[in-house]
Amino acid sequence: MVRQIKQTPMNWVERLYIFEAFRGLFTTLKHFLRGLFRYETLPTVPYPEIKPEIPRDYRAKHRLMLRPDGTPRCVACFMCATACPAHCIYIEAAPSVDGRIEKRAVRFDIDHLVCVFCGLCVEACPVDAIRMDTQDTSYVHRNREDFITPMYDLTAWDPKQYPQNDTQSQVAPGGSKNQQALEAWGLKVH
Amino acid sequence: MMEIINSKHWIEWLLIVAKFAFAFVPVLFILLLIPMERRGAGFIQDRQGPNRSYFWLPYFGRIRLFGWVQNACDGLKLFTKEIYAPSGVNKILFALAPAIPFVIVLISPCVIPWFAPMVFTMGDQVVRVSGNTVDSEVGILLLFGLSSLSAYGAVLAGWASKSKYSLLGGLRTSAMTISYEVCLGLSIMGMLLMVGSFRIDDIIAWQEAHVWGIVAQPIAFFCFLISMIAETGRAPFDVAEGEPELVAGFHTEYGAMQFGLFYMGEYSHIGINSILVACLFLGGYSVPFFSQTTIQANMGYSLAVLCGVFILLILTFLHMIYRYSRWYKTSAATNKTVILREYSLYKLLGWVAIPALAVIGIASALFIHPEFTLVDGKAVYGLGIALGTALIQILVLLVKACFFCFVWIWVRWTLPRFRYDHVMNLGWKVILNIALVNLVITAVVAKLVLGGN
Repeated sequence: MVRQIKQTPMNWVERLYIFEAFRGLFTTLKHFLRGLFRYETLPTVPYPEIKPEIPRDYRAKHRLMLRPDGTPRCVACFMCATACPAHCIYIEAAPSVDGRIEKRAVRFDIDHLVCVFCGLCVEACPVDAIRMDTQDTSYVHRNREDFITPMYDLTAWDPKQYPQNDTQSQVAPGGSKNQQALEAWGLKVH
Repeated sequence: MMEIINSKHWIEWLLIVAKFAFAFVPVLFILLLIPMERRGAGFIQDRQGPNRSYFWLPYFGRIRLFGWVQNACDGLKLFTKEIYAPSGVNKILFALAPAIPFVIVLISPCVIPWFAPMVFTMGDQVVRVSGNTVDSEVGILLLFGLSSLSAYGAVLAGWASKSKYSLLGGLRTSAMTISYEVCLGLSIMGMLLMVGSFRIDDIIAWQEAHVWGIVAQPIAFFCFLISMIAETGRAPFDVAEGEPELVAGFHTEYGAMQFGLFYMGEYSHIGINSILVACLFLGGYSVPFFSQTTIQANMGYSLAVLCGVFILLILTFLHMIYRYSRWYKTSAATNKTVILREYSLYKLLGWVAIPALAVIGIASALFIHPEFTLVDGKAVYGLGIALGTALIQILVLLVKACFFCFVWIWVRWTLPRFRYDHVMNLGWKVILNIALVNLVITAVVAKLVLGGN
């Protein structure tokens, strides 16, 4: 969409500069007084002590979704690895032990130093196995190898930190809907 | 020798020597201006400003003083850095240049009156001590002359650095100083015409008797303020060190404390100029709504009111502290306990200071009843009352000056830098003409209405 902005020529009051300067001074004074008397309403936060609120749909660190029995939902179809523009996903497939599913991933590595956080892997996944809604934006390691995040790291998330209406997260072990899901699967409930 | 010593009462000598301490007031303004500038800039830009540096106290932990510790950190850093000069510079001038603005800053406050001339009885002698270190007939001209000398620092630095950027910066500084000194002098002439004296004491006395200069000469006030900002070389007139064109202008080649001296010279220059604007247009040391005789006759109540003002300020401060504490308690900050522990110190100090000030105020209102002797039909009080009046007047002057310090920062962080030719246009074609017209009109009005000679 093209938005055309009309530039009106300045009238003589504006061209005198001094009145506009006073208007500017008034604006900055408002901001100054806000900072002085309503310090806590400043949009900036003291970062390491107070973390900013990150929305759920922010493309943060990846996680692999889990089935009710705790195995990753990934069927090793290589869609994400194919879609990835940075080629940062490495998958090794193996035959699945479950008869209803053809393949499973035995290795699923994401190199976060190469990843561009475009979210195409999430879009490509046919079984909703990979997501980027962890709200985890800063992860620091001492050497480059540690940034290659393996499967056990990607699946190590706690369902309690995700909203209740996020069914896919809550059916995982430890989630509030795990028992129901296991029953629906026909697995024995302990 | 003995005649000179005996010509004045010993207390007069003591006060004259003590007045030399006022030379350091503009330097103390640096301590106020740096945190004010940095945090003020932060607030104006919706940031928080530097607030991390702290010192450690046994029980209260990290004391950050709202960013005031940053001063000490900046200074320490500048002091411990290595001083070096690029090869090929003029060694003597290069080393001399940063000292000039700073030395000027120590000299030029000598003509600023910090309080009304003290007249008091000591024994059976009447002693008169003027409020400025040098009681000169041409006080304001002396001040202008001295403060324009600080341009030499920039010019010599630009010349000695052997760098094109520095040289251009120095040239621009000299051009700015020449153009805006003219505006500065002419815009104040209307005021001087009405007062009929160059002494700052007389100007303040006239304002006390009539109205503040800002009411009598509003146009002159704006011209003067703009010229003052231009003369200190601060934004929006900092073409001399305009980063986009000239790296850092005349101090491009300087580092460590040599740079620090330029920096401090600039800030204390702001301090002096703020005091000067307060003196010329805001009544200087004169207390608004109260004449000096009223204050002297009711010294006890005046001190009580002063204590009351301080208590009010401390209460405001405490209110802010309690609001921040409440917010920190509910916030998710991980350093909550540290901050609250720090704030408990401020709360403690505030709640100790308020009763102390209240006791002092009530005691002074109850027990200070000045006795006076009549000298030439005027009531003259003793030394204590004179010192109390001076204290109140110094505080009033400093409050007014602090307001103008804020104006400097406020303007700097609001207006964008002018282009160099725009600065010259504004100086020579606008402000100079406005000042001249203002002078002519003032002269005519003064002749017709006030009936001057």
